[in-house]
Amino acid sequence: MGDFFDIFFNFQFMADHFSYVLEGFWWTIKLSIVGGICALTWGLILAVVRQLPGKPLAPVRWIVIAYIDCLRGIPMLLTILLLSSGLATMASQGVIPREIGIPQWFGQSDYFWYGVIALTLTYGAYMAEVYRAGIEAVPRGQTEAARSLGMSHGQAMRFIIVPQAVRKVIPPLLNDFIALMKDTALVSTIGLVEAVQAGRDLYSEFYNPSGYTLGAIMFLIVTIPLARFVDRLIKKQNEKFQRGLP
Amino acid sequence: MSETVTMTRLKIERGETILKVDGLKKYYGELEVLRDIDLDIKKGEVICVLGPSGSGKSTMLRCLNLLEVPTGGTIDLKGEVVFDGSKPKNLDELRRETGMVFQSFNLFPNMSAKQNVSIAQIRVRGRKKAESDQRSIEELTKVGLAEKVDEYPDRLSGGQQQRVAIARALAMDPEIMLFDEVTSALDPELVKGVLDVMRSLADSGMTMICVTHEIGFAREVADRVIFMDGGYIVEQGPPDEVLGNPKEERTQKFLGLVLDH
Repeated sequence: MGDFFDIFFNFQFMADHFSYVLEGFWWTIKLSIVGGICALTWGLILAVVRQLPGKPLAPVRWIVIAYIDCLRGIPMLLTILLLSSGLATMASQGVIPREIGIPQWFGQSDYFWYGVIALTLTYGAYMAEVYRAGIEAVPRGQTEAARSLGMSHGQAMRFIIVPQAVRKVIPPLLNDFIALMKDTALVSTIGLVEAVQAGRDLYSEFYNPSGYTLGAIMFLIVTIPLARFVDRLIKKQNEKFQRGLP
Repeated sequence: MSETVTMTRLKIERGETILKVDGLKKYYGELEVLRDIDLDIKKGEVICVLGPSGSGKSTMLRCLNLLEVPTGGTIDLKGEVVFDGSKPKNLDELRRETGMVFQSFNLFPNMSAKQNVSIAQIRVRGRKKAESDQRSIEELTKVGLAEKVDEYPDRLSGGQQQRVAIARALAMDPEIMLFDEVTSALDPELVKGVLDVMRSLADSGMTMICVTHEIGFAREVADRVIFMDGGYIVEQGPPDEVLGNPKEERTQKFLGLVLDH
């Protein structure tokens, strides 16, 4: 039993290398927050574009649907690799400007931004589907009431439908956010030392996996409260619908 | 845009034609819901549309503000074409001139009564918040809900919700009000409050088209009663004639069924 703790829960080791793993986890957090906000926004844009009315806009809807299907259908690891190598190659060959191909906006590394873009593209597609479910769950009468008051399609979406839809889908969006947070680990493959890579670095140097455990603990400190919070939200929403039943 | 705005400002005198419908048709695939509807609605007129369910009366009403796009026929509002037989024209302008109240209220559940009445005033009519708030309170007071301005729809009874919906439509200064079976979803004791509001609206000279099952209301308030069946207008005229002495067999049969219970 002592060996087990020495291997996985070597507290001395964890204490010695705490700041290194924490520094990695700080990148995990930064990727999650920036990527999460971008994905939430991008997903909403996709969902709204997908709902645009009328025959002339059908090609736009098809493009969005194809995009969502593709990005959900390939591993995010592949998206990260394809995106980072693709952008870097295009920039070095002068096809696109360097500032876009090798982005170092706001003083952050290109690895970071490749990660953010890949998370946005992939999770934007997932979240677009969640938003769509929310939009479709708003009763048709809401749109009719808004339109009968003279609102355009866009106004009805913006002021009436989307606010109600978003409220309905906050729990599933948060679930997607938790998944996104865990998938930030994939960004380590292109060189960013986040929590998981920090553990790998420690393992290869000291041959002790307690660094991994420490990373896992840091993840759980954030994800478990989030998961509990989502559960409570769902319970609250259900109560609202079940009012009056024993 | 400027042209259409002048259109909406066109003055129509009481008794002149405000809405003209010619040969209106609506098919859902093979199903013919409206076959050939001609209507000439005068400003200030109160019209009640009766008929069995499936007769096309709600569809007709929804075609009038193009919530349903007709399959054929034309609709003119104040002499301007708003539907030319294939597609809507000046759609948002038409809808600004016509208020609609639905059977299922369709209040916005995430907004208070006042916000429900204000939102379109601000976003569509371009009123300032203070102005729209004041107007909303006025309209809600008129329908007897002065104490409920800050309540959310789920805290209001069906009758109160429906009166908020009426206030919401009226705050847009519509020229025509469309009522789509507005009391059908209400408990019996709540019907009167809504009908009272409609009655006083009729007295104020509003042009109204009401799809309804309330024969008593039609008899008392309507200038003209239209009886529809099978997608046609079977019979129309003053309530005394259509309700008191119907000429058509189908009307007689329908009235026999609804009055005998």
